[in-house]
Amino acid sequence: MNNKSDILVGIDLTKTYGELEVVKGVSLAVREGEFVSLVGKSGCGKTTLLSILSGLEHPTHGQAFLTGKEITGASEDELALFRRENVGFIFQSFNLIPTLSAWENVALPLFPMQMSEAERRRRATELLDQMELSHRLEHLPAALSGGEKQRVAIARALINHPKIVFADEPTGNLDTATGDAIMAILNHLHRQKGMTILMVTHEPELAKTADRVLRMQDGEVLS
Amino acid sequence: MNLRYVFKELTHQKRRTVISVLGLSIGIALFVILNVLSLAYREAARAPLKEVGADITVQRPGNVPQELTGAVFPCSAVTISEEEIEDIKAIPGIRGMGKAVLLWIFDPNRAWIVLGIEQNNPVGPSILKNFIMEGRYLETGKPEALVEAAYARQFSIRLGDNVNVAGRPYPVVGLIDASHASKIAVANLYLPLSEAQAIAAASKNLQSVSPFAGEDVNLLFIRADQDRITAVAAAIKGILGEKATVATPESFLKLLGSLFALSDKFTLAASIIAMIIAILIAFKTMAGNVAERAREIGVMKAVGWTHRNVTMQLLAESVIQGFAAGLLGLLIALAAAFALGFMTVNIPIPWEMSPTPHFLPGGGDPLFKTLRLPVHIPLSLAAFALLLSVIIGGLTGALLGRHISKIKPSEVLRHE
Repeated sequence: MNNKSDILVGIDLTKTYGELEVVKGVSLAVREGEFVSLVGKSGCGKTTLLSILSGLEHPTHGQAFLTGKEITGASEDELALFRRENVGFIFQSFNLIPTLSAWENVALPLFPMQMSEAERRRRATELLDQMELSHRLEHLPAALSGGEKQRVAIARALINHPKIVFADEPTGNLDTATGDAIMAILNHLHRQKGMTILMVTHEPELAKTADRVLRMQDGEVLS
Repeated sequence: MNLRYVFKELTHQKRRTVISVLGLSIGIALFVILNVLSLAYREAARAPLKEVGADITVQRPGNVPQELTGAVFPCSAVTISEEEIEDIKAIPGIRGMGKAVLLWIFDPNRAWIVLGIEQNNPVGPSILKNFIMEGRYLETGKPEALVEAAYARQFSIRLGDNVNVAGRPYPVVGLIDASHASKIAVANLYLPLSEAQAIAAASKNLQSVSPFAGEDVNLLFIRADQDRITAVAAAIKGILGEKATVATPESFLKLLGSLFALSDKFTLAASIIAMIIAILIAFKTMAGNVAERAREIGVMKAVGWTHRNVTMQLLAESVIQGFAAGLLGLLIALAAAFALGFMTVNIPIPWEMSPTPHFLPGGGDPLFKTLRLPVHIPLSLAAFALLLSVIIGGLTGALLGRHISKIKPSEVLRHE
């Protein structure tokens, strides 16, 4: 079914909403340490496919395997726990909690875990330091720029040492310069730290920075 | 559950938190105040009887002789026989009994209201010993009298004088100011019970309409177990007949006429309405709050929070709001109770309990016991209100948490 180096495998994945077939029998695999971009126009089904592959959504048909475990049949809570331990997310609109400071947002995945406050803060601070945001630890998201918010979101995605990061249009809400900086961070994570990344984007230029580009059109992966 | 997150959420979203807490606290305050008022009226209704150390007073109405001369009974209080007293004593729930004889005595130069009392029985008018202005209280076994101060002034009676009552001389050993005492069981002249019984037994006029033996009385004061007062009152009527006047705190409460005093059902219904309003306000505010946070909850679930984690987080927020609302509600209720404590309440004394003949000056006037509304918040009510507030907060949070934590992160996060 999948060879040992495949961290993410999708087999004949289909997702329909009523009569509308959004993802049509997609099969794909992502190897450990690979940076794959999924490119396509808006509405082609790439975000839905990412949601299925990351365990945020169940497919109508097909199977998805993450780190060798089939996630398509798992319950919501099993998937939540699985995501907590294996997956990091970066969203287009950052999705930071407005009432929490930068470091608390980074530590959000750790809140339900048995861990001291000091340890949570230490781990979040370390990551924000890597994101060059050590001067913004106590700032609320409203006081951060778009680029800073996305760097906080990246730190949050990394706090649990995930095996794979899913990035959904990570530069979609940013200007070109800031978007380039974010892409540089993702590339650094991939090249220096060996992070597996599956990135969804509608910008072909951004997609090219990945090891491999998968094109999606009308719910199907073309290449 | 993460307390840091809970407090951040509550303190950063001040408007939401304040509306939610304020709404619930007003409901809690209303609930407490309604119950406190009801308790205060009950306490007030107890006052006239409490002042004579009793929970129940008993009289039997009857006839007055056609000719008002010598010693007679008021028409509202005629003979209660020794046998009947023994039967009443045997009623379960009775903890103590006091006896008295109330007489109207029409002597040639004046009319007396005379009350024969058991000097040292704490149940009954022995409370009068606290109102001695001059001289001393009655001593056991001595045929002596206390005179009400205003009456003494009117008729120039002084300490040490001998007063002649129904042909019997009594030395005045004390003057008493009963104007601040109970409005019931008061008289112009107080004698030992045995003396009043002897006067009554010797009065042919009295005997002609209400036969009276040496140990009979015409007033009873009864202390009873608080939870059996109604049953004891009913049993007394069973012995003395339905026409007997059996006064209880409940009967005074009925005379008060206030909605709070009239019915437990009113207080219960009003409390329930107050709580329903509070629950609706809390639910609506918290529901709005939670709905606004659907995306936030989607993020929490996406990064690994389980259904239970999310529910517990929302539950903690709402329980803390419920606790804060409970405290604030109690503070509002305390302030309201303080203000209500300045209210006075007039408790009507039924005419049949008024010792003054209606044909004498002032005898027909309505009689009231006036007192400040005894408002206080019992600790048990405060604790219950606080617990109720926490439970409402908790249930609201749990219900909303259960509902909202079922949302699928993909559904709320896809709309970028």
